[in-house]
Amino acid sequence: MAGVSAACAEDAPGSDPLAVVDPSGAAVTSFPDLVAPTGEPGQEGLAAVRPEPGSVGVVPGPFDDRFTLDRLQVARGVVTGRLTVTSDVSDLLELEVVAGFYDAAGELIGTSSWVHHLDESAEHGHTGPPDESVSFRIVAPPALRERVTSAAVGVPVLVNE
Amino acid sequence: MRTPARGTAALLTLALAAGLAGSAGIAQAQDKGSHDDSRRIKNVIYLLGDGMGRTHVTAARERYYGAAGNLVMETLPAVGQISTYAVQQGSGQPGEAGFVPNLVTDSASAATAWSSGVKTYNAALGVDAKGTVVPTLMELAHQSGLRTGNVSTAEITDATPAGQMSHVLLRGCQGPSYSAAACQNTSLVGTLPTSDVRVTPVADQIARNQTADVILGGGLSRFDAADETALESNGYDVLGSPASQTVATKTDLAGASSDKVFALFNKGNLTIEKFKRENPASVQAQEPDLAAMTTKAIQLLSSGKKGFYLQVEGALIDKRSHANDAGQTLEEMKAFDEAVRVAKEFAAKDGHTLVVVTADHECAGFNIIEKGTFTNAEATTPPANVDSGNTANSSTPPRATGGTKDPARAAFAPATFRTPDDAAGVLDGSADASLWLTYLSGNHTGADVPVFAYGPGSDELEGSIDNTDLFDIVGDALRLTS
Repeated sequence: MAGVSAACAEDAPGSDPLAVVDPSGAAVTSFPDLVAPTGEPGQEGLAAVRPEPGSVGVVPGPFDDRFTLDRLQVARGVVTGRLTVTSDVSDLLELEVVAGFYDAAGELIGTSSWVHHLDESAEHGHTGPPDESVSFRIVAPPALRERVTSAAVGVPVLVNE
Repeated sequence: MRTPARGTAALLTLALAAGLAGSAGIAQAQDKGSHDDSRRIKNVIYLLGDGMGRTHVTAARERYYGAAGNLVMETLPAVGQISTYAVQQGSGQPGEAGFVPNLVTDSASAATAWSSGVKTYNAALGVDAKGTVVPTLMELAHQSGLRTGNVSTAEITDATPAGQMSHVLLRGCQGPSYSAAACQNTSLVGTLPTSDVRVTPVADQIARNQTADVILGGGLSRFDAADETALESNGYDVLGSPASQTVATKTDLAGASSDKVFALFNKGNLTIEKFKRENPASVQAQEPDLAAMTTKAIQLLSSGKKGFYLQVEGALIDKRSHANDAGQTLEEMKAFDEAVRVAKEFAAKDGHTLVVVTADHECAGFNIIEKGTFTNAEATTPPANVDSGNTANSSTPPRATGGTKDPARAAFAPATFRTPDDAAGVLDGSADASLWLTYLSGNHTGADVPVFAYGPGSDELEGSIDNTDLFDIVGDALRLTS
């Protein structure tokens, strides 16, 4: 047996069946150095900006070269806008827009987010070509709405098909 | 059609059987290894043209080599076709109770089919239709001591490359951030703890699992400083920098010589060849093409004694087919075929390499139509291909003018291209050009896809097979399965 194993094993991939890979152990499913997240993605930089009253700022994120933002408005604690994906024309699978809300002193008082998720298992109905633009509406937490004078947005999640 | 054993349970059965019936397993290896050295397979190079249907191949051939010519892939002696259907979430496997097919796959479930040998639902990577983790061929190869490589012109966290080196319930869970919407599939398995691999962003997995020794492609935006630290601590030579979001260049790649290399050349997908060709002084022209990445990957991997398993994806065929841009699609087909050339030339010299060339699905119902004719379409406009932020993608395919039934729908007019058989002076976009191309839609189709193969064991790819059969064929070739 040892001779046969040697003849088969040299320079031959996975060739010794007695040492065959245990498939149940092959999948890598744990990462000791990786700290599991404890919450939803935030948007770095929201605390550092001080948008002018009545304005909506934009904080940098990892996908800024993939979209444009326009029609940004804030009123009565609600941020609205339109995001247009410029990097792909395939289906938009995931999008999250995070908004920071600021008081009259320019202090960040709360955050909220708008999420788009395309369920690929659901029937899509009759659709034409993928729409590159999505409109979003982000509402400040109820207790804060009256204090909101400005906002800032960022995009921590963006995936096209 | 083949009916090989597949799936996690089958793999476990195989492992136990190999242990319990050792003499039978050794006898089989002896038969393949020592009595027929000409058929001994040491390496597998698996090239995947994303979205590449049969017509994509024909159109590219006619465009670049004329009607009587051949792409390199068409010179490979073994030819077959592959069924690509997926299944619905929660479905049983074919032949099992509760089997519910989905006739049009996406890249994720297709990647899982050939990587792990199971049918799964669209969006799933490295998990079966019930959400159970299944090992991939690249993980099996890595564990058995083979060198492994994963190359793509897409973000390396995208479905096709990720299907070999991650396990997630939803392909959108790519990183750099976890989000419940993008990562959790509560309707299938409930809410999982964020420590579960199935909801761990693909980028975090790739940076830590060491499944692929050589990783080349795009998607730097998905990786961060912690990922760079993890890669370096695992012995990777990281070209460019995720921490500073500095992309690697083709010059960096040319100088790489380590056993383990991680190099991403764009923050997103790599740039289309048409733009790089037309803008040679651009930053994007510093990205290597697929042939260069394949050449380098083979060079780095072939130093191993035990052999290697390399997956190479031409991803932009699909992405530009979604955009219904025939000109860009054709150039990406050519670039992919040049990578096939690299693989074939290596295999011809090496003598113990199986080369497999195929696709995950067809994209957009690409058609060659009779010169001078037009098709009808239901939509009011075709997919947009004007990208204000990424002007590399903006282009207007040369379309035939005049003769449309409805001038207002000229945007749907076929794109026309000259071929080498046309007289000199015939221009792209003219009615005189021979090759008239059109698209059915901007989405995938359920057509079977072609497969071409070269080298020992290539006859296994002839005929009609299913995409899950690819797992068994490659696994058997590398002696990772039965």
